Amino acid sequence: MIEFQHVYKTYETHSDENVALQDISLKINEGEFVFVRGHSGAGKSTFLKLMLMEERPDKGRGKIFLNGQDLTKLRRRKIPYMRRKLGVVFQDFRLIPTMTVYENVAFAMRVTNISNKVIRNRVPYVLSLVGLEDKMDRLPDELSGGEQQRVAVARALAHGPKVIIADEPTGNIDPELSMDIMQLFEAINKVHITVVVVTHEHELVNSLAARYGNRVITLAHGRIAADTADPEVARRYLANGGQPVPELSYSV
Amino acid sequence: MRFSSFIYLFGQGLHNMRANRMMTFASMGVLTVCMLLIGTAFLLGVNIDYMVDYLGDQNFVVAYLDEGVTEEDRAAVEAQIGAMPGVAGITYNSPEAVLQEYSGMLGQYTNLQEVFANDNPFRANYQVTLTDVSQMEAVVARLEGLGHIYRVNAPLAVQQLFLSLQKVITYGSYGLVAVLGLVSIVVINNTIRITVFARRREIGIMKLVGATNGFIRFPFFVEGTASGLLSAVIASGIVCGGYYYLAQWYAAHPTNLTQLFGGELVPLEQVWYLVVAAFVAFGFILCGIGTATSIRKHLNV
Repeated sequence: MIEFQHVYKTYETHSDENVALQDISLKINEGEFVFVRGHSGAGKSTFLKLMLMEERPDKGRGKIFLNGQDLTKLRRRKIPYMRRKLGVVFQDFRLIPTMTVYENVAFAMRVTNISNKVIRNRVPYVLSLVGLEDKMDRLPDELSGGEQQRVAVARALAHGPKVIIADEPTGNIDPELSMDIMQLFEAINKVHITVVVVTHEHELVNSLAARYGNRVITLAHGRIAADTADPEVARRYLANGGQPVPELSYSV
Repeated sequence: MRFSSFIYLFGQGLHNMRANRMMTFASMGVLTVCMLLIGTAFLLGVNIDYMVDYLGDQNFVVAYLDEGVTEEDRAAVEAQIGAMPGVAGITYNSPEAVLQEYSGMLGQYTNLQEVFANDNPFRANYQVTLTDVSQMEAVVARLEGLGHIYRVNAPLAVQQLFLSLQKVITYGSYGLVAVLGLVSIVVINNTIRITVFARRREIGIMKLVGATNGFIRFPFFVEGTASGLLSAVIASGIVCGGYYYLAQWYAAHPTNLTQLFGGELVPLEQVWYLVVAAFVAFGFILCGIGTATSIRKHLNV
């Protein structure tokens, strides 16, 4: 489904260069639920941007596949169509404050050339999936942070994507509601949608992964430090001189 | 693109215009002024052309013969003039005919025929009609080269003044259109930039959910070109209305000078569609360019 092969990403400024990711190789299968965690600066955001095609890997250094298609060879013009296969959720929700909940979800469908008839049927349906069918006519500001994030999840689901990618989805939400959002993602994963959650909240990841047996990939200093699906990864990381990250150590 | 999407994006563009109505108003004001200046320059040029053409229709020169030319010499001169290139026709006026014309003019004061009965002061002349006003200088030179010609009278100075005026106005109009076109692009570019800035959050979301660049751009194009077209309509109304009343006033208040050039302006019916078409094209094309250049940067998310 999603595959990185020896991907490097370097940000160049006029005076120096900053290596964000080096030699990232991983494979996320269809229907998996994966946490990608790491400290700030570990390369989480870059990893996400590469998947969303906001950034491209260093030239000639690595390949990224989505559904078997090489994203590094994708033409710029084709990027929008590729993005429609992904649903994205952000820490800051990214809702439009002047539009109602219904309009926010409908907007995402309208601008991708979907017919009014489909929109009218689909929007109430996805809002009911996240439990907000009775708040369709509210403005985002009238909702709690957890509810706003659920609107964003509904918007991500509107196109019927095969993959949901979430960037720190609980970062702006009260801790007691974080678990609700995460359980929403677990429910989405139950209907065979691949879920990738990028987060730095280690306790939350630990408790959820323990309960649901989710795969956890740990990034450190731009490299993959551990992957619960493959213990070999952590051994190789340490053997290559990688610094151990004690608080991230996670045993299956 | 689906029709419902088209309607939606079109509506979004008009909504943007309303949302930044102050900026829309300001940019349309500048565009309208640009068009008014261009329209004025154009109509001035058209009328100068018209006057030059009118003068062209009055394109004859008068060649006076020496006194005491014999009939045979006169016949030879007439044949020579008739054979000149650029000459369309000649009319002979004998001294008697000239005297008769002037005495007719002054008939109520004195009888010129009696006064000059034995001593006609007028010379015989040829009124030479030209094929084309631009031939005037050449024909005058040729006439002066003939024998038995006393003097050639031609409105050369007026004709040259008008030809050079026509040239200046033509080039001036081109320059004006170029400069004002640039101004319009900058103004629209700026307006759309402000709209884009106000909507950057929406644009970001559109990019992330997979909206194509065409979809993102479309409402801004609607906004830009609608401003341009609306300005064109306003400017057309002002220019055509103003010109209509100016033409009426001009025809109703003749002076010696205006009579010299035909006494009327080019009628509105002959120019209004040119003005409107030019304004619409100007508004549409330049606003399109202004929009395209302002949003390109924001599309690379």
